[in-house]
Amino acid sequence: MTGSWSLVAALALLLVLAGLVLRNGALLAMALPYLLFSLQPFWQNRPRPAWKAKRELEPDSLMGGQPCAIKVELANGGEDLEEIFLTDPLPPDVKVEGNTEYHGPFMAGRVETLSYTVRGVRGKYEFGEMSVTIGDLLGLRREEENIPCSGTLSVLPAADHLERMKISPRRTRVFTGMIRSRESGAGVEFFGTRGYVAGDPLAHLNWKAGARWDLLITNLFEQERIADVGIILDARSIMEIKTEEDSLFEHSVRAAASLAQYFLGEGNRVGLLIYGNHIEWTYPGYGKQQRARILAALAGAELGEHAVFKEFGSLPTRLFPAESQVVLISPLRGEDVVSLRYLRGLGYRVLIVSPDPLSFEKWLLPQDGFRELAESIARMEREATLAKLRRSGAQVVDWDVTGPLWLALKSGAAERRR
Amino acid sequence: MIPWAKRAAAVLSGVFLMALLFPVGSYWGGVAGAALNLAFAAVGKFPPFVRRFLPSFALGINTVLSAYGVLAGGPAVWAVPIAVLSLFSWNAERFGQRWGDAPRPVQSRYLKRIGSLAAMGLGAGLSAEACQGNFSIPFSLTLLSMLAGGVLLLRLMSQAFPKGR
Repeated sequence: MTGSWSLVAALALLLVLAGLVLRNGALLAMALPYLLFSLQPFWQNRPRPAWKAKRELEPDSLMGGQPCAIKVELANGGEDLEEIFLTDPLPPDVKVEGNTEYHGPFMAGRVETLSYTVRGVRGKYEFGEMSVTIGDLLGLRREEENIPCSGTLSVLPAADHLERMKISPRRTRVFTGMIRSRESGAGVEFFGTRGYVAGDPLAHLNWKAGARWDLLITNLFEQERIADVGIILDARSIMEIKTEEDSLFEHSVRAAASLAQYFLGEGNRVGLLIYGNHIEWTYPGYGKQQRARILAALAGAELGEHAVFKEFGSLPTRLFPAESQVVLISPLRGEDVVSLRYLRGLGYRVLIVSPDPLSFEKWLLPQDGFRELAESIARMEREATLAKLRRSGAQVVDWDVTGPLWLALKSGAAERRR
Repeated sequence: MIPWAKRAAAVLSGVFLMALLFPVGSYWGGVAGAALNLAFAAVGKFPPFVRRFLPSFALGINTVLSAYGVLAGGPAVWAVPIAVLSLFSWNAERFGQRWGDAPRPVQSRYLKRIGSLAAMGLGAGLSAEACQGNFSIPFSLTLLSMLAGGVLLLRLMSQAFPKGR
């Protein structure tokens, strides 16, 4: 029943009571219209609808800012309904264009369609139940129902195109790829020489060396294979810096997506570990399907806080194959150095892409003399942390997120060569 | 269609209130009630907050003034049309707020529904008044209207039972 019904019923009751107490028949007669109004919902049949709901998202997986057309169909297989309010509640942070509501009669056998377009930022958006309020024309009765009509929209992170970068894990897989394996075999890069053995291709004979040593010498080439790459995304809340329009974590997610896309494009076997509130592991795999799996996992990546995962000490290293390549994307703290050194000590090749929190955060601080001093102290601390990691053998890329990732990776590689 | 019916009902409520309250010497009550109903007739011109609460307020005040008029010894026969017209205008305004641009078939269905209810209320109330001798109509007319009301009531009640399934 509605508030309107309560008002009429209360007035009817008051008039009846007043008429009975004061023994006034005229008041009782006056109460009759009110009584009839308040009893009307009980006289009328309660319509019994039989709902069938269907939701279509086209596409259900897209990049940030792209539109997703949503069509919701609701069919009434039951009785006629005089008046319904149909609303499709939307997840927060979604921008909608179009109509998500319907108000009107809904006759038996009819199908009502809501069509609208949504746009969202990176994330997983769950569309749950539709809310239907069934009422009568007089507005005295109202029933609310929730009709299950689920759907999930994944807004994937944008991935940048990266230029060729060099990684050199100690162990590679058997299939041919783009990573040097430190073993001689079929390849294009010169690896060494040895004495000719019957069956060696004549094209590989090194005539200059043969002339010098008066022997038949064969050139050896380094095999190029694919490798296991484990990408670790740091999703600890403590590392996050957020402004009204931007978030450091979003840059980390974008970097993870770009690197996953790059390594998969090179034919490698790539896995993803999101390290925050809990451990979310995307099992390693190859190709486009794995790319889709990783992007879907990144779409749902959220910051979290857990006492166990406060530091990298709880990193489940057994998930990554021994002596494989590990890529960590984290703004880094001084406390993380020990755990990452340990990772390096286990034989993993470690590439650290560190979005620079200082250059991201400094614009949020007030413009005064202390800002420069604070920044220089923090910068020194960060440089010391990065230097410790570099000394332990990790490849560190300090990324100012205002610039492109490929440039940071290129300058990081150049720095390493020096 | 509905807004004009609502305005007419509100104005008539005010007129009937004056007819009920003037004979007992409550001029200010009658004038205030009429003024309130006139304001309610033009409720669309008011801000949304007033528009939201004025209908219920007007219904409550109309009921209280009518009850006062009846208890003060005014002509009780006017109290029933006041109640019916107040309920009609209040509900029509609520309908308009909920469904501003209702299609014509829906408006017709609404008017039929509330019209039958108002007619039944008016018939039942006036019959009850007549039975108490508050106004004189021939006995045959009283009996006829009571029987008609009873038939309508039975029809409504029979509709309340679920159709065989």
